[in-house]
Amino acid sequence: MDVLKFVAKRLLLMIPILIGISMLTFAISNTIPGDPARLILGPKATPEGLESLREKMGLNDPLYIQYGRYMVGITHGDLGESTYSQGPVSSDLIRYSPATFELTLFAMMITLLIGIPFGIISASKKDRMADHFTRLFSLLGVAMPAFWLGLLFLLLFYLKLGILPGSGRLDSGMSPPHHITGMYTIDALLTGNWTVLLSASMHLILPGITLAAVTIGMITRMTRSSMLEVLQSDYVRTAHAKGASENRVLYGHALRNGVMPVITLLGMAFGHALGGSVLVESVFSWPGLGKYAVNAITYLDFPAVMGVTLLIAVMFILVNLIVDTLYFFIDPRLKHN
Amino acid sequence: MLLDVKDMSLSLKREGKYIRILDQISFHVNEGETIGIVGESGCGKSMTALSLMRLLPDKARLEGKVVLQGDEITSFSKRKLEKVRGNQMSMIFQNPLTSLNPLQTVGIQIEESIILHTKMGKQQRRKRVLQLLNEVGLPRSEELIDDYPHQLSGGMRQRIMIAMAMACEPQLLICDEPTTALDVTVQAQILELMNEIKKETQMGIIMITHDMGVIAEVCDRVIVMYAGKIVEEAPVIELFLNPKHPYTLGLLDSIPKMGIRKQKLGSIPGTVPSPEKMPTGCRFVDRCSHAMDQCRNTLPEMIEINENHYTACWLYDEEVNKSGSIGSQKPETAFHY
Repeated sequence: MDVLKFVAKRLLLMIPILIGISMLTFAISNTIPGDPARLILGPKATPEGLESLREKMGLNDPLYIQYGRYMVGITHGDLGESTYSQGPVSSDLIRYSPATFELTLFAMMITLLIGIPFGIISASKKDRMADHFTRLFSLLGVAMPAFWLGLLFLLLFYLKLGILPGSGRLDSGMSPPHHITGMYTIDALLTGNWTVLLSASMHLILPGITLAAVTIGMITRMTRSSMLEVLQSDYVRTAHAKGASENRVLYGHALRNGVMPVITLLGMAFGHALGGSVLVESVFSWPGLGKYAVNAITYLDFPAVMGVTLLIAVMFILVNLIVDTLYFFIDPRLKHN
Repeated sequence: MLLDVKDMSLSLKREGKYIRILDQISFHVNEGETIGIVGESGCGKSMTALSLMRLLPDKARLEGKVVLQGDEITSFSKRKLEKVRGNQMSMIFQNPLTSLNPLQTVGIQIEESIILHTKMGKQQRRKRVLQLLNEVGLPRSEELIDDYPHQLSGGMRQRIMIAMAMACEPQLLICDEPTTALDVTVQAQILELMNEIKKETQMGIIMITHDMGVIAEVCDRVIVMYAGKIVEEAPVIELFLNPKHPYTLGLLDSIPKMGIRKQKLGSIPGTVPSPEKMPTGCRFVDRCSHAMDQCRNTLPEMIEINENHYTACWLYDEEVNKSGSIGSQKPETAFHY
């Protein structure tokens, strides 16, 4: 029951956080110089035409009225009209988000599969070759900007070697699988469409690794330091004193204790990947939220920018809530206190 | 003889060079005998215990011989040593909370020793764990078996540690300050339990402590350590009635005695010299009120004072005594029972 109480409390806390984020984004996007009406009507627009469009879009009202109108709309599920796509922002978000979630989830999967084992190896072989290698690798991952790494990958694997696709979600001419989740790999898997699954997976590799490079570095370094601390602990010594082998101590005692702080960081890494998708999607022409947001910004499409920001914020908060809730099932000390 | 330690030395690597922590320690433990190792913090008591178990940091150099039941375990490989730890030779640590894995139930942790060293089936193992819990004086073992360490009191945790160490009926039990982290009343209970176990089994026990009270309570023979060397060894009654080494005298003088009104408790001036700056002669020389030129230059050998009573001090050397220079300086016995 403690878990439910905890989740309810955190969900309630979400409301003020989201209000804060919406205020900030709204204020920032409205201080950007530029006139959306002029962008829509183009260079040949008449002053009268501009004025009437501004009036129609509500741009002449004071900022707090505009904000109030926006917030009232949100409570009805109305995120406004996108001036760029000429449709409701909510349906744009529904259309573009599966691509981003697919990419982010894939990146997180690679992060887990590479970051944690690398961290464990690094800690258990401290100051030896394997440790030096993984430390260098993770430092590179954290230090390299994603857009640059993406370009390098494109040059090497797409242009030079030609073994991996460099843009889009599917080979050209291939039609997406039957829509279930909107994530092509999962939909293809569910419908048993193997050719699409292969194509979709190949397309995920380069942007996925680019997006994961930073988070792999983060997780590896965290796992290493946390494992090193745990390996110094008294209960690890007790396990050795019982006659447990190195591997048994490492995987039976140290690992579960060592990954605890890593789990919190995973939530943060997920948020990082969601935000990072903006750049990576632009580099790989990935038709997701990031690319949508970049287009929206260049068109001064404020409702679209607001929509993407709020959606990412909600996702980030929810993922971290899930992560924090996980502790109740991993750490018995929380359950009983 | 159960355990025979011959000229055991331990060096640890610090800032690039090996520093000798233990210097040619020799002693033995007979079946059913309890040996106390006493001394101030930093004198090498715990390191002696960890060296016997070979639970040492990676960069440690252990020299000399440790023979357990006829096997020279110092020459054992890592794998072979794992079969000895927790099986023939077990260890109990100072802080029972940090020495238990916080994420495993106590039942699982006790069971692990049994899994590691026997071929018992699941049902049998559970039975054995319940039996062990009863043996160490823990009631309602059926519920306790599924509890986590944080749900138990300090005394209960230490009982769990003892149960864990006793699981495979070891021939030698090493206790490193088992009562130091506990309340005084709980201390007495744990010591009582140790005495009971001693009576029921023919186990040899090494009791490491800085508490002369603990020594008096459970030990048959005592080894006094100072700065990585043994300075005195005697049967427990002999040591209390007829202590010889000025350091032992100092230790005994620093504890309050029942029924004797004394203005002030004795203390030993100064601190243990650091391993990097060890004096060339007797290591106690800078803190000893009886120090002579000889003490400064030459390390004293162990000499037999009485039956089974040895000390390493120039005051009791026949040559020195013959010269008559210090006859009057001999320290007064501290205790008059």
